Amino acid sequence: MSTADLARHHQVSQFLFHEARLLDERRWDEWADLFTEDGVYWAPAAHDQPDADFHVSLIHDDALLRKVRIARFADPNAFALQPFPRTAHLITNVMIDEDDATMGRLLTTSRFAMFEFRADAQRIYGGAYRHELVVDGEDFRIVRKTATLVDCEGLQETVGVYF
Amino acid sequence: MDAANLDRLVDTDRVHRSVYTDPAIFELEMERIWGRAWIFVGHESQVAEAGQYFATTIGRQPVMMTRDEAGGLHVLFNRCAHKGARLVGEGAGRADKAIRCCYHGWRFGLDGRLLSIPMADGYDGTRFGKGCPEADVQPLSRAESYRGFVFASLAAEGPGLVAWLGGAASSIDNMVDRAPGGDLEVTGGVLRFEHDSNWKFFVENLNDLMHPMVVHQSSSLTARDVAKAELGPEATMPPALQIIAPFTESYRFFDEMGLHAFEWGHGYSGGKTSIHAKYSDVPEYNAAMEAAYGPERVAEIFAVNRHNTVFYPSATIKGPIQTMRIVKPLAVDRTVIESWTFRLKGAPDELLRRSILYCNLINSSANLVGPDDQEAYRRQQQGLRAEGAEWVAMHRDLGREEDLGEGHLYAKGSSDLAFRNQFRAWKRYMAGVA
Repeated sequence: MSTADLARHHQVSQFLFHEARLLDERRWDEWADLFTEDGVYWAPAAHDQPDADFHVSLIHDDALLRKVRIARFADPNAFALQPFPRTAHLITNVMIDEDDATMGRLLTTSRFAMFEFRADAQRIYGGAYRHELVVDGEDFRIVRKTATLVDCEGLQETVGVYF
Repeated sequence: MDAANLDRLVDTDRVHRSVYTDPAIFELEMERIWGRAWIFVGHESQVAEAGQYFATTIGRQPVMMTRDEAGGLHVLFNRCAHKGARLVGEGAGRADKAIRCCYHGWRFGLDGRLLSIPMADGYDGTRFGKGCPEADVQPLSRAESYRGFVFASLAAEGPGLVAWLGGAASSIDNMVDRAPGGDLEVTGGVLRFEHDSNWKFFVENLNDLMHPMVVHQSSSLTARDVAKAELGPEATMPPALQIIAPFTESYRFFDEMGLHAFEWGHGYSGGKTSIHAKYSDVPEYNAAMEAAYGPERVAEIFAVNRHNTVFYPSATIKGPIQTMRIVKPLAVDRTVIESWTFRLKGAPDELLRRSILYCNLINSSANLVGPDDQEAYRRQQQGLRAEGAEWVAMHRDLGREEDLGEGHLYAKGSSDLAFRNQFRAWKRYMAGVA
């Protein structure tokens, strides 16, 4: 791997870690700003799910739904979020699958674990991330983030936060 | 538990907390309610072709719906006749000509009949083996389909499906009639939401019209606020917000939706209107409906707009948005709610897209509306441990329901009629009366 490749890998990894940190530190508005205007957050309900239009999903949020969800986080009547869950997102196995300089597009896949503490119990969610990024100068913005849980087809308990 | 003790747990206007918390009562419910009532198994579209099966549970028992070579529909126990191994995994699959047991290779037709046993002559002269009815995969006592919705009963005796559904069957009729092609198809995957609470909280809540404006404030009012701020006060909301916003309609709106109750615990809320009534029109769909039925009949079909219909205890549908939630009790304080989506045959894709969106937003474990309901049930499950207060109330508008004849009761939406009616059926099943 060339020095340039290593630097690119570091840059992409740092972006993913930064995104995870914003989620864990509940800096929701900053997190939402990482997305492009038409950026999509997706947690499918099945492996190899072809689309989110004709198959149910755990979460499929455009910008407007992210606004509703984030506004709800602060709502005193969001009972399922009391007390608000604590999370730690861990990211590893970061691979750059495509880096298209002419189109300004980058595709990275990684693996994640999310520890969540809520209602007196800790839960562990794990799976694969797929980030479709648009290169924005020295930085990136998210066109589509897909979080596929290893057990997305299994029984799911309430989860109120973003993976 | 003897009959007299059971009888004391349910009054006309209140129930004892133990019906939600006592594992012994849960075991009795499995035997006397889930072991007797018609329980929803699946939809015929899931086994449209010969060789297809769909495996699920009735109570805690493994069953499968199958389609045989001749087109016959069966509901069988998902259990090898030989040494009892479960034959197929949960969900949909295809077995072509035979289901082969993973253990000793016994092969069965999709109608359950034993086809072959390796080294079959070992059973010669015994009372088991080919030709012996007990060596077939056993059918459930009764299975019937109503307009594609397949129900089965573990009990040999009891009312037929149509008689049992009674007036509530009209909700299935309306859901099917909304398809220009006159038929439905299950599609779009399933959401499997685990609740750490008793199954009855869920089936009660669906026609509890005094809760939405409280429980769903944080999602529904927020959606309204975001729509105003982002799109302006006069703008038409996008479909997602049209779905969430009506959950905080006024008490008056929900009151006027009304409640209908029938024998065996069934019932629905809404009728002429519901929280599903104000979604934007899809002109191509209306045109397809008019072409199929003519304008007068279409007007009749669309004039019926129901919220939730409960076929007590297992099946709940939302006709106007073509979704279904299925109740699967696992333990006294553990229940799985599955959400399914239907395509209206002959309707444009836009309708299915809206049904999927609805399930995502309302029924998903990770979303905006359902988790607050689930939290309410969870708190009930915890609160009812308190021994200082023994009863759960269902007094509201007691005695103020109207009898519309043939077992059909009507009350305003704020009434506790749905709960009283469910527990009337509960008591009847639990007393052992078929």
